[in-house]
Amino acid sequence: MADFQTSTHRANWIFTTQELDDKYNAARQRAIQTLEKYGATLMEVDVDGTLSYPEPQINSKDNADKHSRPKPLTIEEERYMRVFYENKLQEVCNNFHFPHKIQATALIYFKRFYLQWSVMQHHPKNIMLTCIYAACKIEENHVSAEELGKGISQDHQLILNNEMIVYQSLEFDLIVYAPYRSIDGFVNDMEEFCPVKDDQLQVLKAIHETARMEVDKIMLTDAPLLFPPGQLALAALRSSNEVHKVLDFERYLRSILSRQSSAHTVSELIESLNSIDSWVRGYKFPSEKDLKHINRKLKSCWGLSSHDESKKREKKSKHKSKKSLNETQNVPSHTDL
Amino acid sequence: MAVAGPGQLNVEEYPSWGSRSVDCFEKLEQIGEGTYGQVYMAREIRTGEIVALKKIRMDNEKEGFPITAIREIKILKKLHHENVIKLKEIVTSPGPETDEQGNQDGNKFKGGIYMVFEYMDHDLTGLADRPGLRFTVPQIKCYMKQLLTGLHYCHVNQVLHRDIKGSNLLIDNEGNLKLADFGLARSFSTDHTGNLTNRVITLWYRPPELLLGATKYGPAVDMWSVGCIFAELLNGKPILPGKNEPEQLNKIFELCGSPDELNWPGVSKMPWYNNFKPSRPMKRRIREVFRHFDRHALDLLDSMLTLNPEKRITAQDALVAEYFWNDPLPCDPKSLPKYESSHEFQTKKKRQQQRQNEETAKRQKLQHPQQHTRLPPIQHTGGQAHPSHWHGPNHPINNPQPPVSAGPSHHQYGRPRGPPGGPNRYPPSGNQSGGYNQNRGAQVGGYSGGPYPPQGRGPPYAGSGMPAPGQRGAASGYGVGPPNYSQSSQFGGSAGGRGPNPMGGNRNQQYGGWQQ
Repeated sequence: MADFQTSTHRANWIFTTQELDDKYNAARQRAIQTLEKYGATLMEVDVDGTLSYPEPQINSKDNADKHSRPKPLTIEEERYMRVFYENKLQEVCNNFHFPHKIQATALIYFKRFYLQWSVMQHHPKNIMLTCIYAACKIEENHVSAEELGKGISQDHQLILNNEMIVYQSLEFDLIVYAPYRSIDGFVNDMEEFCPVKDDQLQVLKAIHETARMEVDKIMLTDAPLLFPPGQLALAALRSSNEVHKVLDFERYLRSILSRQSSAHTVSELIESLNSIDSWVRGYKFPSEKDLKHINRKLKSCWGLSSHDESKKREKKSKHKSKKSLNETQNVPSHTDL
Repeated sequence: MAVAGPGQLNVEEYPSWGSRSVDCFEKLEQIGEGTYGQVYMAREIRTGEIVALKKIRMDNEKEGFPITAIREIKILKKLHHENVIKLKEIVTSPGPETDEQGNQDGNKFKGGIYMVFEYMDHDLTGLADRPGLRFTVPQIKCYMKQLLTGLHYCHVNQVLHRDIKGSNLLIDNEGNLKLADFGLARSFSTDHTGNLTNRVITLWYRPPELLLGATKYGPAVDMWSVGCIFAELLNGKPILPGKNEPEQLNKIFELCGSPDELNWPGVSKMPWYNNFKPSRPMKRRIREVFRHFDRHALDLLDSMLTLNPEKRITAQDALVAEYFWNDPLPCDPKSLPKYESSHEFQTKKKRQQQRQNEETAKRQKLQHPQQHTRLPPIQHTGGQAHPSHWHGPNHPINNPQPPVSAGPSHHQYGRPRGPPGGPNRYPPSGNQSGGYNQNRGAQVGGYSGGPYPPQGRGPPYAGSGMPAPGQRGAASGYGVGPPNYSQSSQFGGSAGGRGPNPMGGNRNQQYGGWQQ
């Protein structure tokens, strides 16, 4: 049976916190190297996934060693950027009334992409849109690039331009397991676990709803890169159960483990759930002020000073669709999109 | 502008991101060609391992990376089974590529994407079409069992293949059969509410519900195709070779009877039922047409070619059918003979060479008539893997000659000394009554390839009384099928596949949109 146990998700995309930190650091270091070599970090992506490094910045060479050399984002600032766009991603998916599954798939694509790259190298807005587009394709919920672009007033060519690089960065591991289905499964299971009275069905419905909302929160943290979807679901259900107080959760966990003859002990499982909870508690959204600051830094890293912009625009005017890429590459803010 | 060549990103920083470069492989030979692009046999430089590279064509720029390729990658990464082709990895080619004619691909994708598969020596159609080759009954059972096992695994994992046909069933020299070309496949769920496209499955293998316009369907569609292949293996040629959709339906009705509310409740509500319903009721004739098949084969075939998809046998139930548990039993794949690889590209070349040889032989014959003695003597009658069964109760009455083995016993004669690259299977002795070799040998007079029509395929039940093989034998051997009747097209080529294609020629354009 092809399931999570045999999936690429489990084999290739569940990390330890240390591995995750290493990946973020490595991606940032690569961006910094590019910055030092070329004076800017933004990669030029072709529709077939071919990449080009930024054009060496004449300005930055002229003013070499002066304070005008762009400063790279810190690890924390990179995280804030991702957090910001992950929220945007949820917003866009909600506006399109996409199913939870698509949102979750797109989010996981986005997270995986930025394990390989820094936000300094690929504009997170474009990547976010492409991840949504790709998730729709993979989950068989068809939306044309044009439709998607129109819905958010973006040039759909941006979406298509990044498609190959996204798939490549995902190493074509396209099936992801979101915790939403696990929640459905566990709630069904709970119905059998606790003696069902008429009023209890209502309570289980409530626990289900709250757990879904909890998972939405979990999906915005790094937890999906650290824990399997079943554990994310259980963490959400546990939090939800704390609100609704339906069952003895630890006893429920024991019953699951005994039935699955799992290698985990209850204490290990509880430790994982605690850790997922702490990711949710530690979640920080950047302030307006933080964002402004980061965006200023990012813009200079991307090499998008007004001088360069006119130059780039000139170069690309032959490619109509790409021209708008520059026009939309402005500072992201809450009003963006 | 500094282009990030393979040295900068794909190799040096590997595996910081993404896929390896196609430069890790050395292309050896093109083994397939179709609307999807090309398939190459290639060697991984580092390990020396032989693989198949399937290039993904990216011509549907409107929706970017083709959805069919996405589905194929997604599904193949999910499925792990010995009867499903293994996708090893995806590689990319960073630079502009040129095709054989030196033309650049006519699109803006400078690079290319390739799927890397384990290499398989044959496909079922290519193998079945080999001159003089006949499958034995244990061999047919062995292939059918593997086909059903692989398909059952797909269906359990909620994947519809949607293009089951001989050229998509790959066979290696260990006798293993694997389902390939998942380019039309997709996942389904029992609670799936959306509509699926009915423009799938190569016409000859397409079930009646799709031809009648169904957009909600399930695993039964694949089982119809399996039935067609099963009958084809026993019959020696395709059983329902329609030229277009109305003709296809008509052929189905002629064989399987016309559908009505009794045998297929709801059929009259199908979208195109009124356009295609037969003018008069027709009788189901499967058991009559294929009366020379043995009883268990016929029972199984009958249950596969059931008009009503609800009643059609599932892969799981087919696997426990009497057919597979009665003598002769399916043989062990490993006991099957090893054949020279048969790929369309290679067999085409070989046939050309063979014709040249025949010409030469003709000329030589005038000088050295004794060349003719190179023809294999009739000596293979004992080659059946389970000879004793042929005199047992299952022995079909109207089958006086046992199916002759192309099988293991062959080796005792060593390899025939045919012309280089020519067919290496001797004709079975049992097919005189199938009747297509005796005279032609004299006519052509060449050695080895001569007596047997290049595309001739004998049924395992020789002398069955089926008119078709005889007719075929009488014909030149060419031009028996429809125009594109051809040999194997490894890894699911549509151009080389037999029968019109489901997508009318170009999957990506017609299908690459957002049809389900």
